[in-house]
Amino acid sequence: MKRFATAMLAGVAMSLTLSAAAHAEGKTIGVSWSNFQEERWKTDEAAMKAAIEAAGNTYISADAQSSAAKQLTDVEALISQGANALIILAQDSSAIGPAVENAVAEGIPVVGYDRLIENADAFYLTFDNKEVGRMQARAVFEAQPEGNYAFIKGSSADPNADFLFSGQMEVLKEAIDSGAIKNVGEAYTDGWLPANAQRNMEQILTQNNNDVDAVVASNDGTAGGVVAALEAQGLAGTVPVSGQDGDHAALNRIALGTQTVSVWKDSRELGKAAAEIANQLAEGTAMDAVDGASKWADGPNGVEMNAIFLTPNPITRDNLNEVIEAGWVTKEVVCQGVAAGTVAACD
Amino acid sequence: MMRATSAAILLLALTAQAMAQASPVVPTFIEETQAAGINAVFDGDWEYMVGGGVATFDCNDDGFADMLIAGGSAKATFYRNASERGGSLRFEKQDSGLELDAVAGAYPLDVDGDGVTDLVLLRVGENVVMRGLGSCRFERANEEWSFDGGDAWSTAFSATWERGAQWPTLAVGNYIDRREEGFPWGSCTDNWLHRPEGGDQFAPPLALKPSHCALSILFTDWNRSGTPALRVSNDREYYKGGQEQLWRIELGQVPARYTAEEGWKPLRIWGMGIAGYDLDFDGYPEYFLTSMADNKLQKLSGDASRPDYADVAFAKGVTAHRPYVGDNLRPSTAWHVQFEDVNNDGLADLFVVKGNVAKMPDFAEHDPNNLLLQRPDGTFEEAGDRAGVASTAIGRGGALADFNLDGLLDMVVVNRWESAQLWRNASEDAGRWMQVRLVQDGPNRDAVGAWIEIRCAGEVMRREVTVGGGHASGQSGWHHFGLGEEAEAEIRVIWPDGEEGDWQRFDSDGFYMLERGAALAAWTPG
Repeated sequence: MKRFATAMLAGVAMSLTLSAAAHAEGKTIGVSWSNFQEERWKTDEAAMKAAIEAAGNTYISADAQSSAAKQLTDVEALISQGANALIILAQDSSAIGPAVENAVAEGIPVVGYDRLIENADAFYLTFDNKEVGRMQARAVFEAQPEGNYAFIKGSSADPNADFLFSGQMEVLKEAIDSGAIKNVGEAYTDGWLPANAQRNMEQILTQNNNDVDAVVASNDGTAGGVVAALEAQGLAGTVPVSGQDGDHAALNRIALGTQTVSVWKDSRELGKAAAEIANQLAEGTAMDAVDGASKWADGPNGVEMNAIFLTPNPITRDNLNEVIEAGWVTKEVVCQGVAAGTVAACD
Repeated sequence: MMRATSAAILLLALTAQAMAQASPVVPTFIEETQAAGINAVFDGDWEYMVGGGVATFDCNDDGFADMLIAGGSAKATFYRNASERGGSLRFEKQDSGLELDAVAGAYPLDVDGDGVTDLVLLRVGENVVMRGLGSCRFERANEEWSFDGGDAWSTAFSATWERGAQWPTLAVGNYIDRREEGFPWGSCTDNWLHRPEGGDQFAPPLALKPSHCALSILFTDWNRSGTPALRVSNDREYYKGGQEQLWRIELGQVPARYTAEEGWKPLRIWGMGIAGYDLDFDGYPEYFLTSMADNKLQKLSGDASRPDYADVAFAKGVTAHRPYVGDNLRPSTAWHVQFEDVNNDGLADLFVVKGNVAKMPDFAEHDPNNLLLQRPDGTFEEAGDRAGVASTAIGRGGALADFNLDGLLDMVVVNRWESAQLWRNASEDAGRWMQVRLVQDGPNRDAVGAWIEIRCAGEVMRREVTVGGGHASGQSGWHHFGLGEEAEAEIRVIWPDGEEGDWQRFDSDGFYMLERGAALAAWTPG
């Protein structure tokens, strides 16, 4: 064990020398990824790296490979390599505490990226999940302002599921109170699995003799399950359905008319914002003086933190071109099977 | 260690390429599931997503380990060991009385001290204690022993004999409320402590509050005080505000949890299995805890005055947090765990059974079991694929036991929705070994709570005799030690009441009976 630790330190010292020599001027931003092999983070990284380098700073990173224990040593190594600010995508937010404490003790600011690190000394950056819920409900409500609503919620083990639901309820409360909308069934989706969402939707349809007018589903995976259940009853395309994530299959469903909206969180924006926050913090800007920062204390433990919540983008038939133009998905994928002249983005 | 070091030097001399550190001998395992006659599936829907244990024990006094495999919604299967010494593995299914349905796990122990092994069957529903009648026959003893089997989803077990007690104390860990299938989160049910009443009965169970969805529990003397405490590993998926637990269980006292002020730091994991072993020869066990993604290896931070543990899994190379072959994008799900020396080099190795809960999308679907070999410097290296045991079936329980009495530990793994698998350890370049059974008079015949010490080449290896831990899987019978190249060594036992036996010399590569107060006696099969 002793020998191992020494060897690791030697490696760190070597890379420290190299980076210090090469970039004497700018600041160094260290990014700790939870599992970089997951495809989605590569987009975030590209945007992050570009914004860090545009400011004359240096991007360094480490990949915890899904190990919370490795992430602790990764953060130490990034600090040893001279990081002036850290961006951490936590593998396990309950285990990352010691790394944040170490960084803070060394005077190095930490940005919790996408996943909450509930620590008063960390900055929190994510998309506004409550707003995602609001956008889902708004789009469905616009299409179907009255009748029987079903709610297919996310996994009950995921705190985001309740954020989403509370946003949905905020928008629909008035219509529910007035009786215009009736909640005829709601269910959590174990593990966010489409198959479970489908099973729940089938049950709700059976309980209501298929008399369901709109479905607020919390993401595109569950929306897929819902649409499958509706299709089996010949209802797909007539019942509005929400989703989120901009899944390729969901965007195609929007073009086909079986799904109403997918709230899209452009990870390039998230990556860019994280870089800009870290750039400012590395220069010594106080957390509450970061552009756009606000106070937030709605985490599980009620800790007050400085945070920025990015506004997501609801994608409907009317603005499908935005995801295509952003390079998020190809026109061929979105428009597969779409009849000519029905969707502007596909023509 | 001397013998390990000399093996290492030999290896280095034989290897042309200079190596940073000596690699352990990789054992050779041959799968013999079908040929051995094993076909036992752990089946069932939601309420069988955990559990799936195997018990190994000798119920016909021939020295060969027999086996009960939990069946979940199907009946449990009993196999009598029909192997011959040193031969291929062979089991015969036969009626034992243990063939109950809804069995999730099984632990052997001699409850009534009659010298015949009994079993505790953990079930979805009523737990049952099965009294051994000899010749591998068992009968229900809940009524005779006033054992209240309850009606829970029981997932964890351990046993101890409290100081001076005539009857064991059983701890049962329970999971979520199975009637809350729609919304199980936060529905953890109480764990139970079944203490003795009189000399041959159990008192009504005492609830160990708060309980946090235990999946493994273990009575272990972490600080060598002479009184084991109860470690409880809990599944954070389902509890609200829970954590890992360590309970002080002292005779005549109300059980009490160790607190953060006393050194027990809050830790939240998807706890599924516990194994303890004194890996660094300092007299105190380290504990391996299985979980999802990272697994933990805990070592005392300071002296044994406080249960303050540090996680050394990453430094030792045993986080085992994602598959080492095939799809290694998503993290692993780990269940049964056991420390045993599979190559007989004198260093305990680590066996971990893996498998997705069912089809959890964020976790690896093909998740090979681990066989991590300990190196002389105390770090471990993965050898599951090289050893031939990298099964990617959906594993749960398991056991390492010498089924053909050739000195090499064989392996059984229980799988969800497909048959259990059996491997024979056929290593040709393993080291020497010894195996011993303890016997003492009085109620605790098998000396649960004793420490066995083996002294050779200037080191003392120690193992604690426990009942419990792992994942739903228990063992009784031989205690195995690898001895490297040592032709002889010495053994002594520190008995559960603290009395230290004398050091006794023995020859390697043999079986021994150690009866308290008597001379060590060699044992041969047949």
